[in-house]
Amino acid sequence: MKKRVLIAMSGGVDSSVAAYLLKESGYEAVGVTMCLGIGDSRDDDGTPRCCGSNAIADARQVCAQLNMAHYVLDFSRELERFVVDDFVAEYSAGRTPNPCIRCNEYLKFGKLLNYAKELRFDFLATGHYAKIDYSQKGYNLCRPKDRKKDQTYFLYRIKKADLAAVLFPLADYTKEEVRRIARQAQLAVAAKPQSQDICFIIGTDYKEFLVNKAGNVPGGDIVTTAGDIVGRHNGIINYTRGQRGGLGIAAKEPLYVIDIDAKNNRVIIGSKKEIPSNFVAVKMFNRLADDFPAKSKAMIRYRHTPAACRIKILDNDKAEAVFDEPQEAVTPGQSIVFYNDDIVLGGGLIETARMRR
Amino acid sequence: MADQQVYLDHNATTPLHPQVKTAMTEAMEVFGNPSSLHQFGRQARKLIEQARNDIAFFINAGTEEIIFVGSGSEANNTVFNFSFCQATHCTAHHQGRMEIITTRIEHPCVLESSKCMCDRGINVDYLDVDRYGKIAIGQLEEKLSDKTVMVSVMMANNEIGTIQDIKAAAAVAHARGAYFHTDAVQAVGKIFVDVKELGVDFLSFSAHKIYGPKGVGALFVKKGVPFCPFIRGGHQERGRRAGTENTLGIIGFAKAIEMRKKEMAEETVRLGKLKEMLREGLLKNIPQVQLNGHPKDCLASTLNVSFAGVEGEAILLYLDLAGIAVSTGSACSSGSLDPSHVLLATGTTPELAHSSIRMSLGRQTTQEDINYVITKMTEIIEKLRGMSTVSLHER
Repeated sequence: MKKRVLIAMSGGVDSSVAAYLLKESGYEAVGVTMCLGIGDSRDDDGTPRCCGSNAIADARQVCAQLNMAHYVLDFSRELERFVVDDFVAEYSAGRTPNPCIRCNEYLKFGKLLNYAKELRFDFLATGHYAKIDYSQKGYNLCRPKDRKKDQTYFLYRIKKADLAAVLFPLADYTKEEVRRIARQAQLAVAAKPQSQDICFIIGTDYKEFLVNKAGNVPGGDIVTTAGDIVGRHNGIINYTRGQRGGLGIAAKEPLYVIDIDAKNNRVIIGSKKEIPSNFVAVKMFNRLADDFPAKSKAMIRYRHTPAACRIKILDNDKAEAVFDEPQEAVTPGQSIVFYNDDIVLGGGLIETARMRR
Repeated sequence: MADQQVYLDHNATTPLHPQVKTAMTEAMEVFGNPSSLHQFGRQARKLIEQARNDIAFFINAGTEEIIFVGSGSEANNTVFNFSFCQATHCTAHHQGRMEIITTRIEHPCVLESSKCMCDRGINVDYLDVDRYGKIAIGQLEEKLSDKTVMVSVMMANNEIGTIQDIKAAAAVAHARGAYFHTDAVQAVGKIFVDVKELGVDFLSFSAHKIYGPKGVGALFVKKGVPFCPFIRGGHQERGRRAGTENTLGIIGFAKAIEMRKKEMAEETVRLGKLKEMLREGLLKNIPQVQLNGHPKDCLASTLNVSFAGVEGEAILLYLDLAGIAVSTGSACSSGSLDPSHVLLATGTTPELAHSSIRMSLGRQTTQEDINYVITKMTEIIEKLRGMSTVSLHER
């Protein structure tokens, strides 16, 4: 009997080719698009973005081409509750969240995976660039063939027990190859541009979105690392660690946001040399590998070059990491993801970061 | 994969009646342009006029009062388009009558046409409905004025099946000198429709809801009522709708009507019983079920139900995988999360409207089908409520 796969389809090239590849390999595939309630969102040039009615129509068209059933499920409340609310709350607390990681955890590999299980599908597939490998020790989340597109950083919160039920059909393809397959298969979406940025923020930049959502954001003091009040800020929501400029303060050397003190509603600034940290306290740690080597490499943001570190796993989903070399702008709210070569060992949210001698 | 296949989406569309299929297959040989004067044209013309006659007779209209169009939506658009001609030389000019009254539960093709009229400076007012989807004739009387050019009230609602008192509504509209239109796409062929008895000026209906082909509808326009074509440039349909006639579709339409004439009465009783079974079965097996639509004045084939705490789209997915075809009370598949405007108008909460499923029965629906649906629905709702998707990820 054919294995049954539920595949998340955004209407973009990647998930469409993923569906095509599944069909080609003989799976019984059913497409599903998460309706996020973002409506007919469009970029300035009129290009429909992810999640709008055009995206759904595109996904439906590809499914029709591939002779697959296609459904739309309402994920709007989950998006609001688990992603958007958190996004606003985190910024309000002076941290810099990564909503795509939340969306993967709670929507795609949360609710949608749950649907797949409930409906007795053998797998849930997505068009992510990532890979799942099987060894004697079980399933591992691994980097894909296309290193430039590697999305494992966004996927590390998948639960280890769920890896066996997940397929990434694009694991062994580059983006160029995916585009070529789309053209060769004459998929309706072959020429579609890449979606970008945060899907639920439409037409405005994220700061405007945050201010609208968070309501009245109080201004406060800008202080130096030495404690001197040097200016006023217009709400901590507008600042992120490592940010340079936009502070409205004249100084001899360039000034950077070193930290955000949400408790006292303060933005702390200093010189470039004060930015790096080597010690990172990690919370909500998600472990994907049984064996953790004493030394591994970690990414502290997307596209960050993995840096050597030591990790200590503590109780209550907490951990600590110490980098061999201090890292620039280790930002609370972002994720730290640990790798052993190609294997994702696990990761968590950065709680605090500082220099430790 | 599914054990059984059950089609409960007859309000969306219906399969061709076998006799319609036969009639259309035979008619495929007839290719002449009905406007041509030679024998080939005459052959087609004869069939179309016979069809027009049969269809007119079925709703007690005059033959010349029936205009064939491309769909129910086209029929409705035609009526709205013509109403507000500003050209004073035109017979359709309405001497300063610049208001339309319609309801909140119309099909989108009426609501969108109304909006478009609004953009052209016409005042559009909407009648409320009660929790069963019924308008109040009293409110219509209140809203009517000497400025009202037309009242448009749907005869039977596509989502909840509620049937309006068209006769009474048309009478009060006429008392104030307004024309009366009814969208009877879900009514003709399912309930008794007599245009003279109802006293309407315009009535829209369609073939594919009653086991006829897609792509053909009809508009009844009462003799003597002003009219303005929507599609111009041909003498077809007495100059009221340009475009070469859809001979095949029209023949299929007439055959479908003929079959309705034979089967409708008995079928309505049978479907009423099946719907009753379905309703009782769901109520008995599943807690927290809300029935939508009027308990009595409702299409025998339509049952709209809300299952608290479960998303309609998820129910649809599960049912489809079990071989059961229904539709939902939201338009999520089109990217909009707005719940059904019909259910909202009846006072159903957005949450409950999102949890709604429309089941519409038809001539092939059997008692076994209904039992299967009750069993599957019970399982599915229990499962989905158990999943309680939001709380699942609570930490």
